[in-house]
Amino acid sequence: MPASIPRFLAETAQRLPDKVAIVSAGRSITFGELYRESVATAECLREIGLQSSDRIGICMEKTVDQVLAILGVLFANAVVVPILPRLKGPNIRHIIENSGMAAMITDSERLTEVSEFADLTRLVTGHGQISEDWPNLPYLRRFIQPRNFFDRIGNDNAAIIYSSGSTGRPKGILIAQRNLAEGADIVAEYLGTNEDDRIGCMLSFNFDYGMNQIWQTIRQGCTLVLHDLALPNDLFAMMAKERITALPVMPVFITKMFDRRLKVNTAAFDLSALRYICSTGGRLSADMISDLRGAFPKARVFSMFGLTEAFRSTYLPPDKLDTHPTSVGRAIPDCQVMVLDEQGEECAANVVGELVHRGATVTKGYWNDPVNTAKSFRSHPRFPGETLVYSGDKVYRDEEGFLYFVARADDMIKTKGFRVSPTEVETEVARHAEIVDAVAFAVPNISVGEDVACAYTTVDGKPIAEPVLRQFLKSNLPNHMVPALLVHFDAFPVLGNAGKLDRKVIKLAACERLGLEAAGGDTPPPGLRNA
Amino acid sequence: MSTDIDILAEYIRNETGHAGPLDPDDDLLAAGVLDSFNIVSLAMFAQERFGVEFEAEDLMRDNLASLSSLAALIASRRSAA
Repeated sequence: MPASIPRFLAETAQRLPDKVAIVSAGRSITFGELYRESVATAECLREIGLQSSDRIGICMEKTVDQVLAILGVLFANAVVVPILPRLKGPNIRHIIENSGMAAMITDSERLTEVSEFADLTRLVTGHGQISEDWPNLPYLRRFIQPRNFFDRIGNDNAAIIYSSGSTGRPKGILIAQRNLAEGADIVAEYLGTNEDDRIGCMLSFNFDYGMNQIWQTIRQGCTLVLHDLALPNDLFAMMAKERITALPVMPVFITKMFDRRLKVNTAAFDLSALRYICSTGGRLSADMISDLRGAFPKARVFSMFGLTEAFRSTYLPPDKLDTHPTSVGRAIPDCQVMVLDEQGEECAANVVGELVHRGATVTKGYWNDPVNTAKSFRSHPRFPGETLVYSGDKVYRDEEGFLYFVARADDMIKTKGFRVSPTEVETEVARHAEIVDAVAFAVPNISVGEDVACAYTTVDGKPIAEPVLRQFLKSNLPNHMVPALLVHFDAFPVLGNAGKLDRKVIKLAACERLGLEAAGGDTPPPGLRNA
Repeated sequence: MSTDIDILAEYIRNETGHAGPLDPDDDLLAAGVLDSFNIVSLAMFAQERFGVEFEAEDLMRDNLASLSSLAALIASRRSAA
């Protein structure tokens, strides 16, 4: 039986044709309809000339139509390339060019904005008003009698997810149908997601974590309720009304859910249906855990950890949250997580090494990038013929086998659930006519993970008025990449004669002036050794 | 003299870098002008700037997402005070 999302949906639609699969803004769709409309979407894509293995961008708000666009692309055996709607022109252009995107499905509201790319890729509307200029999928679907079931094999390419790297432009991580299918089964197994669940989904479908909620829903036959978190009172009202049983979050959502300024009173809502909360994308602070426990005393809290290259690596069983609050847990089912030293040998307990992941969720590598693929996707003599993900993350294992995150190997900034590349921030900051050099780095802020900070020097040595610089940056960067903290330097210290900026010294000096400690990962416990 | 809506619109432009039109009845979250972070800053700014206090039931998406609904909320809290 080939493992693929289209196969899972065909099976669930047969088993539970009239059960509600997705609820969004007053609209709901059953598994039977979801299957038929997804196949119809695939046929529309074929009708307008798109072919198997074409890369198809999806730049849409979170709606049932977005889910249909994603599933339609999978049924057409084409490749989903999510594009975060908030990205600015140059970032979108890079993804279009790098992926060789055959078409981009977008909302009618966004068409004017993305029409600048009409010479690079075909534009298709997946949601909203019908226009004469571009094909409109919801309109075309009405005329399609779904006939074909385009079967997939597990090895077929399913998606390319772009993720920032510490140098250069974002890299596309190539994901197989099999990865998505196995991801659905693995996560449902350890979380215990089942047919009776109603998942409240605040996550976006531009990342693996959010998309995994769709895959679990399809596989288990449960119900997915879409929600955009803006004000926590709306979320809690929705959770009570929809009897939400499962809530996937990220630390930044928890901060928002319990923002004291917003006068949330969870006791005013009946939230007793909630069975579990799961979180990934950063550590849960003691305050976050106590807020969650206070609001949802019966819910089990899962803290999870991973990187897109292998989707998910570890989770901490809920009953270990109190005894091992700083641990990232143990390997997920059907995967093995190792801590290796530089010679590729397994590290002893309490010795720091690199997290290396093997198993079902290992993706195919970086799209169109053999050099970086060869660095992170490698074999190991103990597992001949197999590709493992060398994460670059520094971790250690305690005597009981629980894993602890120590530091990333790269200098990526993790903020608000995004991986932000310092190089990308610096490039944009340095575009300002008055700015000579810029150095971006992370400073800790547990409510959002880390804040982006940026030090800069100017042509005339004078600082730029912050509102002016901020305005410039906001026009050129997506919100999550705009530095929260800006520090002006008269001049930057350099290394040696080559004039290379001494980033370490700049970062420390900037932090001192901001009265902050620089982020460098968690402090390892005493007695910890480096391999 | 600036109206409440003008003041709020100016704040949004400064905060977001949005240079396009701002129709008072537009849902600014749906339009992507505001995100889940700066809608909160907008609510905090409005309370401070207009000297009103929002209650828990006021701090809901539909009250804050358009300039006209937020201006109406400010007006109702002013008259309640």
